[in-house]
Amino acid sequence: MKPVIETRNLSRHYGAGDTLVKALDDVNIVIEPGEFTAIVGPSGSGKSTLLQLIGGLDIPNSGKVLLSDKEISEMSGSELSDFRRDHIGFIFQAYNLIPVLSAAENCEYIMLLQGIPAAERKERVYKMLAEVGLEGRETRLPNQLSGGQQQRVAVARAMVSQPDIILADEPTANLDSQTGMDLLDMMHDLNRHEGMTFVFSTHDPKIMERASRLIHIEDGRVIKDERRED
Amino acid sequence: MLMLKLAFRNILRNKRRTLLTMLSMFGGYFLLVLSFSVQFGSYEQVIKFFTKDSTGHAQISEVGYQDKPTLYAAVPATDEFYQQLMAQPGVTQATSRIVSSALAYGESKSFPVRVLGIDVDKEADMTFLKEKVKQGRYFNAQPDVDDYYEVMIGASVAQQLQVTIGDEIILISQGADGSIANDLYMVVGIIGTKDGQEARDVYMPLAAAQDFFVMPGQSHYWAVLTENYKESTALATELDQWLVDQKRLEAVSWQVVADEFYRTMKADIDGGYVAYYIIIFLVCIGVLNTVLMSVMERTGEFGVLKAIGTSPRRLFALIVIETMLLAGISCLAGFILVMPFNYYVASVGFALPNPMEVSGVIMSHMRGLWNVSVFLEPALIVLGSAAFISIFPALRAARIVPIKAMRSL
Repeated sequence: MKPVIETRNLSRHYGAGDTLVKALDDVNIVIEPGEFTAIVGPSGSGKSTLLQLIGGLDIPNSGKVLLSDKEISEMSGSELSDFRRDHIGFIFQAYNLIPVLSAAENCEYIMLLQGIPAAERKERVYKMLAEVGLEGRETRLPNQLSGGQQQRVAVARAMVSQPDIILADEPTANLDSQTGMDLLDMMHDLNRHEGMTFVFSTHDPKIMERASRLIHIEDGRVIKDERRED
Repeated sequence: MLMLKLAFRNILRNKRRTLLTMLSMFGGYFLLVLSFSVQFGSYEQVIKFFTKDSTGHAQISEVGYQDKPTLYAAVPATDEFYQQLMAQPGVTQATSRIVSSALAYGESKSFPVRVLGIDVDKEADMTFLKEKVKQGRYFNAQPDVDDYYEVMIGASVAQQLQVTIGDEIILISQGADGSIANDLYMVVGIIGTKDGQEARDVYMPLAAAQDFFVMPGQSHYWAVLTENYKESTALATELDQWLVDQKRLEAVSWQVVADEFYRTMKADIDGGYVAYYIIIFLVCIGVLNTVLMSVMERTGEFGVLKAIGTSPRRLFALIVIETMLLAGISCLAGFILVMPFNYYVASVGFALPNPMEVSGVIMSHMRGLWNVSVFLEPALIVLGSAAFISIFPALRAARIVPIKAMRSL
């Protein structure tokens, strides 16, 4: 099976000389389609940097990121935007919903960028919001939703456009433990049923238990790659 | 639609700031409409008056006459030519004139004058000459019982020659055949003021001028009017086409005939634009400040939008749409509110604090303009300025690096 994500000797440094910080140092990982992978490690280990580089939000100092065999570091700004729009769904730690758009409109936005017809957009959005348990809350603005509900909208937004990969940077960090577990269960269900590839970062041991694969990072280097039975 | 909705909701985020920005654009539009209306309304009034009374909208003369008027450059001044001219498309009125100079003598004094031979009836219909008679009466085309032609003289001529109504004047000049022209005329009217453009003029019937200057069946030019002075150039072109077989003659618009007057008007209009630029500049500063602030405040959000796949071009468009929405709503509000004001200015007008003389007639009252361009041009200027101003903030948003921008969240 062709890997959906592959990094080759990926490095990202900040500063120079005495102040040089190696956020990622020579990272090589391969993720197959449909995996439910957690990038784990302590704060400052490089988890977020790795996700940002995989998602094309940041540019590596050296090495390559290949998504479905396409090298994203060679893409221009516009090409990257289009690639993210069509192939990657993001779930951020702070939800990052558009405050002036309702839950449904936040989800609809990416499909609008993709040029999907309005009727289809609406149908998919309402179905997806129902799947994440937000039926009846479609027209609410983000500030009218709880943190857990906002993160569910963020999950729905990431998934509704049916991307190849969903990258989630500590998606449960701002949620209480029960809401976090519920959210992760929901993501796992979607992964099983929809077959999407999930890569998320966490340092919460309870969350790690749900992942089918754990990539341990410390000081910017992969120290352990552990596959687990589902 | 969602982009439009997003833009609309974004501008409603900070209502007070939006309101202040819209007030500045609204004010700019309001002032521009009224300024355009008053300035171009007064120009239109002056041009209409000037062309109707003085130059006509176009003139037919011998080639080269407009650059160097001479006694010898003649055009046909026959009924047949008049009928043919009136049959040309767009021509509504026409009159023929002889213009030359002479030395005028009164009882004991002499004075150099400009002599105008005009068609008495046509001129009365076409120009304001009849209304400019201050003393006496408008003259007759036919000589009086003693076989003297009647003339009307300018106020300066009357003063310099110390003549009044009922007095005689003698004119001496040169005929087109090289002979010495001299004749006696009866003064029946004094026209204009001492400062007016007719002050040094002597008006006589065309037939009298043809006799005096020995130009039988001829004149120096035809002044032609059309329905709208804005069609002057088109009229001149049409007439020039008509005259193509008569290589000796040409038609030119009033802008060529009264080149100096036209250039002065244009310079005045250009001067007026300075005031408009100041209004536009002030509006632009206000808008730039608001849009830039709005973009800076939303840097993190733009980072998210870009991260989830919004292209730089769409982000750019979003900022431009937001600004254009502000400008569009401001112009719409301005249009609704300025309409009654401009209607009043255009229909009732206003008195000039210092009345001015145009073509010998005192203008003490001005009116604004009421047409589409008075409302549309300021709207286009405000919208265009807003679009231009939004480019810089829009570029800033479009060039945002997602990961850096999202750090500000």
